[in-house]
Amino acid sequence: MDLVLQLLFTGIGIGAVYALVALGFVLIFRATNVVNFAQGEFSMVAAYLMVVFSVDLGWPYWLSFLLALAGMALFGVIFNLGVYYPLRNRTYLPVIIATIGASILLSNSVLAIYGPQPQVLQGWFDTPGIQLGPVYLDSQYLLIIAVTILLVLFNFWFFEKTLLGKKLQATSQDKEMASLLGISVSTMIMITFIYSAVLGGLAGILVAPVLFVSIQMGSTIALKAFAATIIGGFGDVAGAIVGGLALGVIETFGAAYISVPYKDGFAFLVLIAFLVFRPQGIFGERVAEKA
Amino acid sequence: MPLLEIRNLVVRYGEIEALRGITIAVEQGQVVTLLGANGAGKSTTLRAISGLEKPASGDIMFDGHSIAGLGPEAIVRLGISHVPEGRRVFPGLTVKENIMLGASNRKVSTSQISREADAMFDLFPDIRKFSNALGWTLSGGQLQMVAVARGLMAKPRLLLLDEPSLGLAPVIVQAVFRIISQIRKDTTVLLVEQNARMGLSVADHGFVLETGRIVLGGKPDELWGNEAIAAAYLGGHAKAHA
Repeated sequence: MDLVLQLLFTGIGIGAVYALVALGFVLIFRATNVVNFAQGEFSMVAAYLMVVFSVDLGWPYWLSFLLALAGMALFGVIFNLGVYYPLRNRTYLPVIIATIGASILLSNSVLAIYGPQPQVLQGWFDTPGIQLGPVYLDSQYLLIIAVTILLVLFNFWFFEKTLLGKKLQATSQDKEMASLLGISVSTMIMITFIYSAVLGGLAGILVAPVLFVSIQMGSTIALKAFAATIIGGFGDVAGAIVGGLALGVIETFGAAYISVPYKDGFAFLVLIAFLVFRPQGIFGERVAEKA
Repeated sequence: MPLLEIRNLVVRYGEIEALRGITIAVEQGQVVTLLGANGAGKSTTLRAISGLEKPASGDIMFDGHSIAGLGPEAIVRLGISHVPEGRRVFPGLTVKENIMLGASNRKVSTSQISREADAMFDLFPDIRKFSNALGWTLSGGQLQMVAVARGLMAKPRLLLLDEPSLGLAPVIVQAVFRIISQIRKDTTVLLVEQNARMGLSVADHGFVLETGRIVLGGKPDELWGNEAIAAAYLGGHAKAHA
């Protein structure tokens, strides 16, 4: 039982990272009808920004954190203007290819600067964790979970309680109608890219001390997050969060009870099972209603 | 000077000329109805006015200024509100939220918009009880009410209504047209209809479109009076109602 609780904690912690990246996937997909294959690189770039500010320049952690997030907001603007905006009136295919191209460009640019060896980033706290009864709570995982809870609450407030959130939803549901009402569609899409870049960046910064900071970290997280969106029900915000958490828990238990080397395999086994038996995902019906 | 003046407007979809040089004028305070069969270019005319289609040639003057080539976001800010074909109510937002978003062209506070949306239910009492229902749960008639209410939230000087009666039961059509005759007290309306009888019943002036050209224009009485036109475009029973 103790082990189960311990694994549950770790699983939710890593699942929270998938959930944040999955949320970024879903928000951009809903706004542009395109899957952003560079979403994982958003996390990778943010983690390297942390390495630049915190390790290389030696600035305080909190300052590096804020600067890295501000950098990701700017990155979201550049990504939108450079990758999505020029192709916005084309079909989805050129846009998807552009995001794949951006993903290759980003990881190789970082590779050219930092080389292939992984970088190490310290966690936010000096204390490694606290013992709560039988469960050891790693401080970084606690931070990840706390930030994710706050972000989910913020996300709910923003999209359900503010007029700007409603305009973003309207834009994702019917762009032409939104523009007829005077909603600036290009501004709404810009906001979506900034928000998704910051979300993906947060995930990267938070998970960096747990993993290593490497060129590949983005694609690994993004693959899991993509699986999470399918498990949750593609295009569904709640589905992305539930799917991400579920995936983190499943792979943690799989690693502990079945096989560590095949840890990543469990995520995709679950993905395949969903694709075969419930392709609409956990929250699938609601997606069907929108169609 | 007319509020809206369209001169020799040509709109193309690729090779196809949807509008082949139409000229119409809408005077301030009027209700003007565009009639015609499917594919005659009625919706295209409205889409060109609201900026969804770019004119290939010709001009669109609103209040004395050319608006041809402006985008829809800029045009609705000038005071032209387009309620498009098919209602286009946002399915994942509530009725109240849909109506509130109609004010997106104006700079007013959220609380002011909320008050105005509540007041809108006085004009549309039938949808008041669905205020918190999501768009996709409504019937066609209710969706039309929401779409018109949302269009009015822009406080337009000119309201473009595209086929408000389409797919609605006769009793609902009458309710919709009762609302149009109320709206006309404050707002100029350009109405597109296939239902000629209803369309002309509220109109000061009518135009008949045929494959991208205006073939006839005049007061409703004159249109009813033209026997050949009445038979061809206004339905076989036109005379009986004239």
